[in-house]
Amino acid sequence: MSGNPPTMAGTRSATGDRTIFKSFFYSFTGFMFLFSAYLFLSNLDQLVVTEAAIKTREITSWGEDREVMNMFAGGFWRDAYFWKSLNLTLMVPVITTLIASLVGIPTAYALSRYRIPGKAAIEVLFSSVMVIPASSVGLCLIVMFNYGPFWNLQQQLGFRFAHSIFPGMILASFVLSFALGLSAWKAAFDGVNPRFEHVARSLGSSRWRAFRTVTLPISKSGLVAGVILAWTRAMAEFGAVLFFCGTFRELPPARFSDLEKVLHIDQADFLSVAIWAQIEYGNVEYGFALAFILVIIGGLSVYAMHRIGAKGYIW
Amino acid sequence: MIEIQALNGNLGGFRLQDIDLTVNDGEYMVLLGPTGAGKTVLIEYIVGMYKQDRGAILIDGQDVTPLYTEERNIAYVPQDYALFPNLNVEKNIAYGLEARRLPKEEISRITEETIANLGIGYIRHRMPLNLSGGEKQRVALGRALATGPKVVLLDEPLSALDENLRAIMSHELRALQRKTHATFIHVCHNFEEAAAVADRIAIMNEGRLVQIDTLEAVKANPQNEFVARFLKTQNVFEAVSDGKTIKGNGIVLNKKNPLTGTVIAGIRPEHVRLQSENRIGETNTFAGHIVDIVPKPHFIEYRLDVGMELTAFLIGDVPYGPGDAVCVELPAEHLILTGKN
Repeated sequence: MSGNPPTMAGTRSATGDRTIFKSFFYSFTGFMFLFSAYLFLSNLDQLVVTEAAIKTREITSWGEDREVMNMFAGGFWRDAYFWKSLNLTLMVPVITTLIASLVGIPTAYALSRYRIPGKAAIEVLFSSVMVIPASSVGLCLIVMFNYGPFWNLQQQLGFRFAHSIFPGMILASFVLSFALGLSAWKAAFDGVNPRFEHVARSLGSSRWRAFRTVTLPISKSGLVAGVILAWTRAMAEFGAVLFFCGTFRELPPARFSDLEKVLHIDQADFLSVAIWAQIEYGNVEYGFALAFILVIIGGLSVYAMHRIGAKGYIW
Repeated sequence: MIEIQALNGNLGGFRLQDIDLTVNDGEYMVLLGPTGAGKTVLIEYIVGMYKQDRGAILIDGQDVTPLYTEERNIAYVPQDYALFPNLNVEKNIAYGLEARRLPKEEISRITEETIANLGIGYIRHRMPLNLSGGEKQRVALGRALATGPKVVLLDEPLSALDENLRAIMSHELRALQRKTHATFIHVCHNFEEAAAVADRIAIMNEGRLVQIDTLEAVKANPQNEFVARFLKTQNVFEAVSDGKTIKGNGIVLNKKNPLTGTVIAGIRPEHVRLQSENRIGETNTFAGHIVDIVPKPHFIEYRLDVGMELTAFLIGDVPYGPGDAVCVELPAEHLILTGKN
């Protein structure tokens, strides 16, 4: 019993530390949110769309009439361009994340559990993708898909990845979100002692049942966090998409695929790309408004990840 | 019955070499050896975690080496117990029964019986994180035994427990084995733990089985210097035998033996006797003095000098103190002789 007081004191101290940390975290987050909201709202009076501005949506080239362009000062929520960008920002990452999860989670499990030839090379490759500039990744993809066997294969199949909208955006964002997701998923599996599976199998479970009933529930929070990370990475992708797909507002409608027409996708502008485009064209407020939307989506994603990631099992 | 025949395995940095071991039905076998001897690896080969290079593992006459772990009908309790952290105690125990797709009523009945037998009803709804070491061990055993396995593999099951609990749990393990009549293979590196539970012990070192026998037999006739030292013979020295006398470290001992040439001689500390000084000169008695006295919980350890250093364990009060001259007897019947490694 003599050991109790220090233990209890230690618990109180740890709880106190957590409270201070949480208070600081929420205060900082709240301040940043309010500051962003202030900047946004203080420019609200400029974000009123005009007839002239709406007409600018009709022009085929952003550089055609800079004077008219500069008149445009916002009203982004009434602008089809914004909704298309938002649509792409939400839709493409969902598809990308779905593919990345379907491929990445089994790959991460295999990398975590088995001795695979070239395992180190695979890990180095995808770790490198995380640290090199995304624009370099975009250029690498252009080189890979615009020349050589991949180009020939695309020619035979009748479509192209590079400088396309839908497949190009998915591929470019897939590479980066897969790399980030893979590291998170592998870490989640690495954190589960393989002995759990061995014991489950010695008790009569098949390999799949052991995975489904033991490994998966234990690693669940890490896997979900990985999915959110992959989604966030895909959503915020800029460099790779810009270099690999470009922005295609100048392209004639004939260049767009039937699928893209059905989905009303005629531009490769994620919100992140759109921000850059708008600022390049002098629509600073518009760009800022888009950035604010992206901050909110990103913030909510990271918040969800923290909430889910905190529910890990301890053993 | 488990028969391991000429099992060889290579795990990169570690090799298991020519393992031949037979464990009879209902026998409690302890795999004993120092850290890194290969005990756990051998258990893991039986579980089916690795593919062997050569050899076979037979359970009741059937070669199980081509079978998956789940097809071998063995129960495995790893050192850290590996209780599934996402399931409470009751669900952990029922896990193997559910894997076997037994009817719900049957699962419920066996789980209840297991919980009652192990006396863990009060923790049945707790998660593993909230269990003590002893409770975890009971739950892990319950989970393993609930499926009614013929073979139970325990990898250092008592190592995480304190000394008192270890003594209690070793008795419980033995009782459980008697009750279930299952074949137990228990890995440990602790001589006392092995003595408490084993029918026979198999001593391993550097990936090989060195000696298999009852504990008493191994103690009396260790196969080599490693076994002698590992079983805490302590008073071990190199000597030369001519079949009648053993000479080494400045003393001459008389004992008829079949060995000649360089041998390893030894005597367990509990067999060293202190006699009155007037017996000096008798067979296998030597003049010496007490270097140090170390009281232990159940005996007193004497460090002696008779021209070589010896250790003696004596029970009760002995009227000697440090520096006192004594007569030390090394009884011939307790002398251990073995060839060099």
